[in-house]
Amino acid sequence: MILPEAGELLTPAMEIDGFRLGCLIDASTGMVLASVQNQDAPAPATAAAGAADLVNVLTLLNGKLATGEILEDVMITLSDSFFMVRPVGHDPDPRILLLVVADRHRTNLAMAHRSLRDLCASFSS
Amino acid sequence: MSQAPRRTRVRQLADSVWPGRTVNGYANLIAARLRKLADEKSTGVLPVSGPGDGAIFFRGGQVIYAESSRTPLPAPRAVGLAALGLVPSEDPQSLGQEYTGGAELVPARSVGRITGALVLTESVIDALTELLSSDSRYAKFRHADDPPAGQVRPMPVDVLLTEVQRRHAVLRQLAAVVTPDTAVAREPSLDGPAAQVSPAQWALLARTGDSTTPRGLALQLGRSVFGTTIEVCRLVELGLLAVPGRLAGPERPAEPGDGSAVPRPPAAVSFIRAVAGERGSDG
Repeated sequence: MILPEAGELLTPAMEIDGFRLGCLIDASTGMVLASVQNQDAPAPATAAAGAADLVNVLTLLNGKLATGEILEDVMITLSDSFFMVRPVGHDPDPRILLLVVADRHRTNLAMAHRSLRDLCASFSS
Repeated sequence: MSQAPRRTRVRQLADSVWPGRTVNGYANLIAARLRKLADEKSTGVLPVSGPGDGAIFFRGGQVIYAESSRTPLPAPRAVGLAALGLVPSEDPQSLGQEYTGGAELVPARSVGRITGALVLTESVIDALTELLSSDSRYAKFRHADDPPAGQVRPMPVDVLLTEVQRRHAVLRQLAAVVTPDTAVAREPSLDGPAAQVSPAQWALLARTGDSTTPRGLALQLGRSVFGTTIEVCRLVELGLLAVPGRLAGPERPAEPGDGSAVPRPPAAVSFIRAVAGERGSDG
């Protein structure tokens, strides 16, 4: 990890039911800043790279649509996992992303979504 | 400590580079040297010469700082207009003395602290990405040379080498469209559909002249060369910047039935391909 001390910020995410992986990602470079994970977690570098690519594509979409909207979060449902990505902070040009991967069969998506929102809000306080 | 004396000092260190050590894939040798210094828990500085002069500082086997003449020095996190690149950055002399945001390893409790720590970290990794190019050479390790005051942050060598390797893979992808030293210009026909750009992108657009390179923009704005190159590539994708002398960017459609159509370059920026696909030469 590049910023191991930032791992403490991710500790609350581990309380999400079915938690597998939590990462803070530099959106501009795709670099993993810090991560916490359980035993069955996907590779942090790969998951982070995918999350950064997703956000970049959506930012490009936003740029093309030019509606003035801001990306709030991305929720992806796979057969066994949820991938949840949320920009940290209220910057229209988010520098840092939070990625949480959770076991789909053990996670309440609405609760997890709320937890992520609260977690990101706590980062900014 | 001013920026000029630091640059001079780095140049002086790099002047002592051993001759005749350049071979293809020298970055492998530098990576091996860094690993050995880490294993020996060395403290000191490794001068590096090549396309740009630089030095890598060690303490207890960890990299605490790196600097290249072809990448910006670390600067405090810009706020307000400075974040947009719309006002001059602070005097570099004061930056070196005052910035200590990355020096302490205390828990980062807010995004502001993370971003602050990231400023120095990004600068070090950006310099390493440049220094570990295949054309670079290293000189004799100097034990116990002190890094610039107040700008240290211990990072494991293996973590840094992995990240540098990933960045080199990303840069190889981007090379089909733009490199850090490719001249770009604002697309003259801005009468197309509206596009929404971020403040960071706008700062780049505002400073792009007829022949500006991503590296020049990065040095001007005090941003990462790697990150700026990616951002410039995205602006080319959006059709807001163009590479003079080259056909329109990756989004230019081939005309139907035109057998002589120029093949489209691959999608430019993909971090996932850099992780899962190409293997670098960094060791």
